[in-house]
Amino acid sequence: MTGIDSETIRHLSETSVSVELETEDMTLNIGPQHPSTHGVLRLVARVDGERCFDVKPVIGYMHRGYEKLSEVRSYPQITTIVNRIDWVSGYANEIPFIVAAERLMELEVPERAQYIRLILTEMARISSHLVFNASYPLELGAATPLFFALRERERVLDLIEGVTGGRFHPNFNRIGGVKPAYGSGSTTRKQPQDLPAGFLAETRLAMDKVLESVDQLEDLVAGNEIILARTKGVGIVPPEIAAAFGVSGPNMRASGVAFDLRKNQDYLPYDRFDFDVITGQSGDCWDRWDVRLREIRESVKIVQQAVDSIPSGPLQAKVPKVIKVPAGETYVRAENPKGEMGYYLVSDGGQGPYRLKIRSASFSNISMLPWLLEGALVPDIIAIMGSLDFVLGDVDR
Amino acid sequence: MSQSPSETEAAASSTAEAAADPLTGFADGVADIVGGEAHVGFGTVKVKVPADKWSDAHLAARDQLDLVFFSWLSAIDWTNEVEVGDPPGEEVEERIELLSALSDLKDGNLVVLSTDLPSDDPSIQSLVDVYAGANWHEREAHEMFGIEFEGHPNLDRMYLPDSFIGNPMRKSYPLLSREVKPWPGTVDVEAMPDQDGDDEPSTENPES
Repeated sequence: MTGIDSETIRHLSETSVSVELETEDMTLNIGPQHPSTHGVLRLVARVDGERCFDVKPVIGYMHRGYEKLSEVRSYPQITTIVNRIDWVSGYANEIPFIVAAERLMELEVPERAQYIRLILTEMARISSHLVFNASYPLELGAATPLFFALRERERVLDLIEGVTGGRFHPNFNRIGGVKPAYGSGSTTRKQPQDLPAGFLAETRLAMDKVLESVDQLEDLVAGNEIILARTKGVGIVPPEIAAAFGVSGPNMRASGVAFDLRKNQDYLPYDRFDFDVITGQSGDCWDRWDVRLREIRESVKIVQQAVDSIPSGPLQAKVPKVIKVPAGETYVRAENPKGEMGYYLVSDGGQGPYRLKIRSASFSNISMLPWLLEGALVPDIIAIMGSLDFVLGDVDR
Repeated sequence: MSQSPSETEAAASSTAEAAADPLTGFADGVADIVGGEAHVGFGTVKVKVPADKWSDAHLAARDQLDLVFFSWLSAIDWTNEVEVGDPPGEEVEERIELLSALSDLKDGNLVVLSTDLPSDDPSIQSLVDVYAGANWHEREAHEMFGIEFEGHPNLDRMYLPDSFIGNPMRKSYPLLSREVKPWPGTVDVEAMPDQDGDDEPSTENPES
């Protein structure tokens, strides 16, 4: 064996294989209706043996034309559209849009409303990351973590529903504040509107439970040899590639980039809370799973601090009956569970936007797929796609 | 870039202005390096560059300003005659404004680069060689606004079926569902429950 390095051996074996077996390229179609595609994504790959090349993602099956639609809707109506973009964390989608409109109107949002927004955004992140922790091991063949993750996610969704009235599509933010479901409606409208009684205590309890189940999930998944073998060193994304493709959020942090919009943007008062930016080292599928799991703990930390320090006061700033946003342009971006979500809002002074560009995280995240899947093993396609945690509503908009 | 004297000058002036508004100083520094004109408003830095410098400006932003993160690329159709929505409040120059957003990965500084293209035949150099992520965003802009990106590897349809005719994000493209049923539709005549009479629905139905 001396004198020949491993590189040469591999080269020799590959050439000998291709000489002996004249393999013919095959086209492999995955989707659009495949359980691992998180919606309706279609992949067309050229397969040479066990490896795939020239992967072409075909999107557009979920395109609902929200950018065009928002040009004929008024500002209060648009929140109902935007929380359907990434439905796994519907609440978080409303925030950057509402903040963009408020920024153009130069509105000061009451502190309590900002804290409620922040608490619910972090709950949306927890629930989104728990869905990832349920679905990703399932895609790799481990069914048990799903039950642990979805049980706690239900607890969090119940809390969101208690405040907003909706599990997936809260439509809870108003320009200038928030509007809880509790106390509204024809019979109870005389009651003051606020968080439902016992919400803060329930939240503290739920956060403890979430932490418990995160520990259990870690034991279940990190102790599973098969999952480790299928994810470690698979689908490695170097940080410079991630940046050039606009890959953001946990997917980018898994590659070792300590960049979190919660730390440097002021759309919500995150600077008052103590939390860490979680990063991975190698940017493989395992790191992307690990970063999301550990981010749940940081979100729990933020919620616990916010619940302890939430100020009292009004929930809504004074706004005119008919909302008109002064002419101007602004871009507001937020750290959503899937990555950077932003709205470029162009107002001409009317009741609806002149143009609303929706920057959604999953679109850029999966635009990397042709690069990432080049030369990957066919069974790794599922492992790599699942680790990017995308939602097709967030891709197609 | 061979403008090192003017660059240092700009850096000096930008530090002086930084005291007033940190964004203004940053914006002027960016405008100097990419060769454009800076606008700052509502927390957003926008730098307008000439269309023939589009690709060079991005190269300079990436290599000299460390704006390595490609956030998005899209366009605005500025026109005074619109089929959907409301026309702009004031008369505007008819054009397609192409926008791209670039960010660094340290302090969260974001710059929106912008350039004007003629509405009838918008065409510009592709950014795919500068930022790989521009590929899909340019495909989207091509399909939605009809912008040609020279040097793009495949400007295939992204969302729409192959038989689709037109560029739906153009303001001249009518929204069919709105043609069929005006908003608010005539069936939606029931008023929203108001609160003590001071929270009236913001959309008025002209036919109720």
